Amino acid sequence: MGNAWIGIDTGGTFTDLTLANVASGSYWFHKTPTTPDDASRGILQGMRELLEIAEIDPGEIGFVCHGTTLATNAILEGKWARTGMITTAGFRDVIELARQRRPNFFNLDVPKPTPPASRDLREEVTERVAHDGSVIVPLDEEAVREAAARLKARGCTAVAICFLHSYANQAHEARAAEIVREVWPDVYLCTSSGVLAEFREYERFATTSVNASLLPVIDTYLERFERGVNDLGVEREPLIMQSNGGAVSPAAVRAMPVNTFFSGPAGGVIGAAGLGTEAGFPNVVTLDMGGTSTDVALIRDGIPGKKGARDMAGFPVRTRTLDLHTIGAGGGSLAWIDPGGLLKVGPKSAGAMPGPASYGRGGELPTVTDANMVLGRLNQSALLDGRMQVFPEKGLKAIETRLCGPLGLDAVRAAAGVVEIINVNMMGAVRVISVEQGEDPRRFALMPFGGAGPLHACDIARIIGIPHIFVPQRPGILSALGLLHADTRGDFSLTRLATAEASSLAVLQDGIAQLGEKAKAWLRTERLPAQDAVYEWAADMRYVGQNFELAAALPSDRLDEATIDGLVEQFHTAHEQAYGYRMGDRPVEIVNIRLGVGVVRPVPPPDQAKAARGTLDEALIEVRPVWYPDTDFTDTPIYRRTSLPLETSFEGPAVVEQMDATTVIPPDARVLIDRFGNLMIHISIEANPEGQS
Amino acid sequence: MTAPAVDPITAEVVSRHLLSIAEEMGATLIRTSFSPNIKERADCSTALFDSRGRVIAQAQRVPVHLGSMIGAVDAIRSRFPLEDIQPGDMFVANDPYSGGGSHLPDINVIAPVFRNGEIVAYVANIAHHADVGGMVAGSEAAVCRSIFQEGLRIPPVRIMRGNKVLKDVLDIILLNSRTPDERVGDLNAQFASNHTGIRGVEALFARYGDTTDAAIDAYLEFTRRRFETAIRGVAPGTYHAEDFLDGEAEGERARIALKVTIGDGRMILDFEGSAPQLTWARNIPNQALIATVYTVAKSLLDPDVPANAGYFDAIEILAPKGSVVQPQAPAPVGCRSISCGVLGDAIAAALSQAMPEKAIAGSGPHHLAVFAGPDPRSGEYFVNYETIAGGMGARAYRDGMDAVRVHASGAANLPIEALEHAYPLRLERYALRDGSGGYGQFRGGTGVVRDYRALADGITVSLSSERQHVPALGLAGGGDGERGRFVLDPGTDEERVLKSAEADIALARNHVLSIRTPGSGAYGTLQKRDPDLLERDVREGRIPESLARPRAASAAE
Repeated sequence: MGNAWIGIDTGGTFTDLTLANVASGSYWFHKTPTTPDDASRGILQGMRELLEIAEIDPGEIGFVCHGTTLATNAILEGKWARTGMITTAGFRDVIELARQRRPNFFNLDVPKPTPPASRDLREEVTERVAHDGSVIVPLDEEAVREAAARLKARGCTAVAICFLHSYANQAHEARAAEIVREVWPDVYLCTSSGVLAEFREYERFATTSVNASLLPVIDTYLERFERGVNDLGVEREPLIMQSNGGAVSPAAVRAMPVNTFFSGPAGGVIGAAGLGTEAGFPNVVTLDMGGTSTDVALIRDGIPGKKGARDMAGFPVRTRTLDLHTIGAGGGSLAWIDPGGLLKVGPKSAGAMPGPASYGRGGELPTVTDANMVLGRLNQSALLDGRMQVFPEKGLKAIETRLCGPLGLDAVRAAAGVVEIINVNMMGAVRVISVEQGEDPRRFALMPFGGAGPLHACDIARIIGIPHIFVPQRPGILSALGLLHADTRGDFSLTRLATAEASSLAVLQDGIAQLGEKAKAWLRTERLPAQDAVYEWAADMRYVGQNFELAAALPSDRLDEATIDGLVEQFHTAHEQAYGYRMGDRPVEIVNIRLGVGVVRPVPPPDQAKAARGTLDEALIEVRPVWYPDTDFTDTPIYRRTSLPLETSFEGPAVVEQMDATTVIPPDARVLIDRFGNLMIHISIEANPEGQS
Repeated sequence: MTAPAVDPITAEVVSRHLLSIAEEMGATLIRTSFSPNIKERADCSTALFDSRGRVIAQAQRVPVHLGSMIGAVDAIRSRFPLEDIQPGDMFVANDPYSGGGSHLPDINVIAPVFRNGEIVAYVANIAHHADVGGMVAGSEAAVCRSIFQEGLRIPPVRIMRGNKVLKDVLDIILLNSRTPDERVGDLNAQFASNHTGIRGVEALFARYGDTTDAAIDAYLEFTRRRFETAIRGVAPGTYHAEDFLDGEAEGERARIALKVTIGDGRMILDFEGSAPQLTWARNIPNQALIATVYTVAKSLLDPDVPANAGYFDAIEILAPKGSVVQPQAPAPVGCRSISCGVLGDAIAAALSQAMPEKAIAGSGPHHLAVFAGPDPRSGEYFVNYETIAGGMGARAYRDGMDAVRVHASGAANLPIEALEHAYPLRLERYALRDGSGGYGQFRGGTGVVRDYRALADGITVSLSSERQHVPALGLAGGGDGERGRFVLDPGTDEERVLKSAEADIALARNHVLSIRTPGSGAYGTLQKRDPDLLERDVREGRIPESLARPRAASAAE
């Protein structure tokens, strides 16, 4: 395997690329404009340039991992394929009825999401399977043939086959798929039992039809991307990052594009987990703050939290994803005055165009970035290492005209208010995700990244009561770096509703066998040797009559009476831990069987700083007044990040500037630069009741 | 009180802390609760009150809880002398007539927060408990004739002292539930939620010290100004509306009369002239009335206004005692959420006159069905409680939403695959009810058809509804919504239309019950509908071609 590894993260404005020589520990980084019409064009251009910069031959590339927003953008913009659906007679509206709730209780103008298959493209066929998998009404094969012909004639290119209870018996769906392929060989097709073999029809049908609608889109894209990578002279097949934090082959993504919805942010979290563990901070809250939104995630013992569902464009997409909280606020968020006179920040954003007023691209509305500039926290002449000129007077004017008048406050107080409000919004996101997972965030270090994270992290940490802030070496491109840390991972599940007792052994063992087959096929697709794979079996369980599940780990794929008893005991204990009590005499049932298959890849070495580093004084760019909540404007040394010496420490106040981010360090902070060039900031936390609890 | 001046920034920052605390309370409640109602359907809400009992922040997950803990905090403040309330106390209440509840399954738990020996705030949460006793499992059915049949009534009483649960009180609650284990779990979650809230409020006061109270006052004041600005955007005047609940006998109806007066940044809703309270459990108790008024006003005037006393205070509600919108004990109230759909329409109709550009037509409320009987598969008795959505009214500029819970109600449906696993019933059809939404320039939201086949002997059904006698009205020439209907064995010789409320009728094995929920009203005449939309409606089978074609013909002329 070649020693050159490449990570590619496509964002809305820029594509970030990382190249590591894992033999020497050298890293190279590159940024290139994203090409929205065909993202692969920008990526391939970027790869060519990066290889030139690093003077590396494409043949030396041993690993390429790509974080993609393609599926996400397609679904958000409705740029999916013309999609048909074949479903059980009497139930074509399930996908439109949804869960009978309004998406927003108070805003009556937020409609339910429009299903990818419009009603006239949803064909009903006679068939019916019961909850236990028994066939009540046989499949009308002729009806399937006719439905396929009609959908083809109406210009569909993709089809979702969604029958009731197919998780319990997939025969009808499988047979229908066979028939459709017979009459329509080049159709893009998926079945609900193939995509998500779990019960609850709306969620399964929604996930399946969204998946179907993306099949042609992702295929075209990957085709171009793969061919381009190959044409560059790269011999290795590139891998794609999934929402679950594992990278897989293009073939796997071609079958399951829904697995890539959080591909980009997942790279950042995996990177944060890798860097944190490396630097001795396995417990981390990440704060990935970009221009329009911020993602927050919790990493425990080096492992990011996961969950089984997340909404995408209003659809309940049931795939394993890292547990990320997203809030609609970032550096580009607009500050405005509400009709009652309160200062508000977000959720509207200035976006890439026109962007903050001080970028001078025609924006006239004040943003968080403008506030930071007025307060001296951002460089007032240029950003991006001097490559992008800025116009602080335009930011100041926007704040004065839009905020100062209505508030009756001066520009500095207004700007400070904008920063204070976005910080308290971030605090809310960090606290809620921690409480949801039953954790106290103060036990964790805060790891800011993204363009705006390090600018706000110390203030946010102080509000929450977190004393340690860990600013990685390259916060602006951590997602691209994180892609190099990806293992390969597939998650599979199957509903088998059965009481947890010996009489259910056959049903459960059959389910386990089916999942095992799925995993084997997947390993073959990934061309990975089965002996390298680590299997994690689990069962989602509940007390009979409950409507939600807790997961319990299965020791192996062999079940007997003793393992079932062990499983039940494990469930009682988990329930007691989560809810404070157990119901020992109540029957327990198994709902889903889950299998996670992981193939661990080697960890890339730490980024060894290439250039010889000088002293702290040599890293000093200038001294300028910077505003802090406690000390107002204070003369502050501004350092160049890439010139800072390793394994030194210094005191705040300080501002550290680098190409991709700016770190603000308040007056009472201590900073330690570790041997990798990470900044470990320690701030003092006042004792308050939160601190004593 | 000499409050220091607080600027809009500090007020906003403190408000974000308050909301964050309320959200954390909600996250704690959902994470630690037991029953699916709370865990999966999030039928719960959390709130913070100031020392005077005003709502300062609420994280409501169901609109019918909007403002609904106000009564409970007031009840505690009036029932217990201030010096009797100690740190470590918590109180519990659910009674609509003495404890600020809106129906018995919703249990409030309230705790004071102290600073320097004085109450500075209250934290409270409300959770829908799956069963609090009464004549039917689930503790709500239209057929109850008295609140005493609906379950255990809990006035505001202390449930915790010195941070220790008072077991005597707890045991009374548990003995009165069919599912006591769940009740312990859910109540513990409610206590944990309040503990989270208490810690958060204490920390907030520690951080902002004496400024905190002033900042809270300022925040309420800014909210009041915001909502007043919204009200001032509406033409001042007096607007009359009326709508009707279905009456007690077939063909009868019960009036909800409303006069809304708008002026000077305030709104007064007067329900004088409304019908006397009903003997069936479709009465609307005070807290449900308040929640519906606050919800509809917020939806139509300013959907993003924060849920606190600042905006509540701009609204005054007058309702005659003993009427359907202000029933007196012991009138039953269990099914108030269906009636609140009609109440919401009356409020929306009045406000639509005041702001025609945002007008919304009448809506189709959900229907309630409770199936019960022996399950031959397990040998156990089952109870399946389901709400089946109607549709939301069309607005002056867009189609109504199909198949949703309307106004203040919001619970989810039961998945077919979960239903068939759990009960001896099979669904034969679950579909949009074509033609049930009124036709017009903007289509009324359609209701739903849900057909159940009984797979076992001895199954009985209880049914509750509204808008089976009185349709949801269209606006500006738009068609009315179709009325709801319960039909036995449709399309067979035995087809029979049932009454709009039925108690424990037999659904014999292999027979089918079809529930057809009401659609909503349209806005504007069908002639004005965009031809492209009309073409799509026909293509998608949402409107018969015969209705669309004359329009096409006349357009060609």
